[in-house]
Amino acid sequence: MTDLDQRLTALPVTRRVFLQGSTMAGVAAFLAACGGGSTPSPTGQASVTPTEGASAEPTAAAIEGPLNFANWPAYIDLTEDETSSPTLVDFEAKHGITVNYQEEIEANEDFYATIAPQLGAGLDTGWDIIVLTDYMAARVVRAGWIEEISADATPTAHANVRDELRGLDWDPDMKFHFPWQSGATGVGYNVVSTGRELTKVEDLFDPAFNGKATLLSGYPDTFSLVGLMLKAKGQIANLPAEMTYEDAQAVHDYLKPFVDDGHIRAFTGNEYLQDFGSGDTWVAFVWSGDLASSGGEDDRFIFPEEGSIIWTDNMLIPKGAQHKAAAEAMIDFVYDVANAARLAAWIYYISPVKGAGEEIAKTDEELASNELLFPPAEIAAKMYPQMALEDEDDVQWADLAADLEGT
Amino acid sequence: MSLQRSRRAIPYLLMAPGLLWLLLFFVIPNVQMLVFSLSEGTLRTGFTTPPEVWDIENYTGSVSKFSSNFSNSIVYGALATILCFLIGYPLAYAIAFKGGRWKNLLLFLVIAPFFTSFLIRTISWKIILGNDGPVLAIVRDLLHLVPANFSIIGSPLAVVGGLTYQFLPFMVLPLYVSIEKVDRRLIEAAKDLYAGPWRRGGLVAGAIFGAFALVALQVGLGYGAFIGEDAAPAAVVAAALVGAVAGGLVGAFLISQSFIRVTFPLSLPGVFAASILTFIPAIGDYVNPQLLGSPKTQMVGNVIQGRFLDQNDYPIAAALAFLLMAGILVAIFLYARLLGTEELTGGTA
Repeated sequence: MTDLDQRLTALPVTRRVFLQGSTMAGVAAFLAACGGGSTPSPTGQASVTPTEGASAEPTAAAIEGPLNFANWPAYIDLTEDETSSPTLVDFEAKHGITVNYQEEIEANEDFYATIAPQLGAGLDTGWDIIVLTDYMAARVVRAGWIEEISADATPTAHANVRDELRGLDWDPDMKFHFPWQSGATGVGYNVVSTGRELTKVEDLFDPAFNGKATLLSGYPDTFSLVGLMLKAKGQIANLPAEMTYEDAQAVHDYLKPFVDDGHIRAFTGNEYLQDFGSGDTWVAFVWSGDLASSGGEDDRFIFPEEGSIIWTDNMLIPKGAQHKAAAEAMIDFVYDVANAARLAAWIYYISPVKGAGEEIAKTDEELASNELLFPPAEIAAKMYPQMALEDEDDVQWADLAADLEGT
Repeated sequence: MSLQRSRRAIPYLLMAPGLLWLLLFFVIPNVQMLVFSLSEGTLRTGFTTPPEVWDIENYTGSVSKFSSNFSNSIVYGALATILCFLIGYPLAYAIAFKGGRWKNLLLFLVIAPFFTSFLIRTISWKIILGNDGPVLAIVRDLLHLVPANFSIIGSPLAVVGGLTYQFLPFMVLPLYVSIEKVDRRLIEAAKDLYAGPWRRGGLVAGAIFGAFALVALQVGLGYGAFIGEDAAPAAVVAAALVGAVAGGLVGAFLISQSFIRVTFPLSLPGVFAASILTFIPAIGDYVNPQLLGSPKTQMVGNVIQGRFLDQNDYPIAAALAFLLMAGILVAIFLYARLLGTEELTGGTA
């Protein structure tokens, strides 16, 4: 097994596991193991003890630890034996504090439900860094539940964050968030089952795939991609980020007949991996990387012609965090180009750090040209962000999605 | 005197832990839920609770909006209970009457699946019923009974099947207990009084039941949608005929009068307890429809889960939970009236 294969199989298998609980994660790990070769232990916590001695010189302004870091499963680099994370070990050595790194987040909504009561009551959540996807990050920032990140403490991050990730509506000056990793939502299919290469979102609605298609649950991914398709067909005018409720209604009305006649069999989280494995799903909306890492050899991921959805998972410091300085130090640390390259090479998503690609290319040409990590310009030009809705709209959109999902 | 008084207190003392438990983990959360179910707002926008607002709309609106989920729950829950009974009764009967020294091992085998996680077992069903699974390999590829794009996963039958499998032990164990208690001498007495095979009655009852069961199975599968509108009535008739013949044969030759007149009536308390124990968890399940179903087969449990965890819409979720609870209570009440309250209490007479 080559180095690359190892990295491939070590991809975030259980990211966004749909059902809560380690059992699902266990199954996914099991399936990944069946898929061939080594697998990370996605439920395992890569919590790391400090390496004594190496932490000789803490920085001048002593930072207090431990840093309590909540992230998604399999979203950090691991050593060969998967017992510790080089990034975390180096960070601990540099700053002389421990990192309590927990793979605690399996779905934005579910994690939100666990922290919202404390944040709403003005209490400490126990976390110093949490990682949430754009729309959810925007929501908690708007709610005023996020600490401002000191610019003085994060010069590297401010210098190195990729330009296209700057200037977002909900935080134009990077005051509250820094991206952890980005990824894309596109179309996945099994080329043997479909019998042909697919290129578009619209291919998913080919009558030949009746009952063998699945979409992603919730509105952010599914409504964005179908919105792009309807825009390409001239039925709606707006890109996903500018979609109105009327556009969402149009997406709903387009999808409804396909749900009613059974063409769309389910709305899933990343358990679509199992459905591809069992042949029950031929074509689906999927997150980039998943099929390449954990799918079969006939499973393909495409960036559709109509465009794909780019999302970013963002580091945030919740209000009342006990170790804010440590959190800022971590944010700055992972924006160091060498650190970012090491991270990206392992977890296989799109790095938010300028120059990470060049850094990887120095050691691994093949990986540096992988379009999942480094989408080429013509694909990147057609990557669009999801909508970030106000609370009132979110309720209505969620209702539309729930209606499609039958709940 | 004081001794007597303390004796009178003993039952209350014995009940105290249970009552405290109920108060803490049943009554208080339910009061909280009741308050939520009459409130407005979501976790994000904040709640307006009684007495400022009494939002009855949560109840009335939910009933109409989620009527298909409610009917799914009731139909699937009832079908799963009936299927559990059809599978579980012969099984419990065989273990109780013919088990001999293997009884304990057989009972252990009934509950053995419980040693594996609920989710793993449901996901196993996904694999078994799946496109590349053994069931379709036989039915579709070998026997060519169904068209190539036929899928079991996503159909109501898959959900009902999953529920049936999941809750079968809840059916078997109470049935076993009550069948085991049946006095064998009564059966012998019935035989002495010329109780033989249940010929004519068994033929009629078996035929009706068999026809009904196969038609229900076919409808549950959504088979008609695959073979087209025109062929559907013929398929229903064929299924009814096959079911009637099979059921009639079983009724006429395999069921004895002593069973109908002695064993079965004496086991009714077990039937009652077992069906309640199966029906209640089945109707509230959300894992089977999630993993084995499609958007059209979602049950109330899925709506409640989605409202609570994804949309943080506690009022609607709480109202739905109360409606489900009320529905179950009404169903059990009707059922108790139907079977008679003596059986409910285990037949004190």
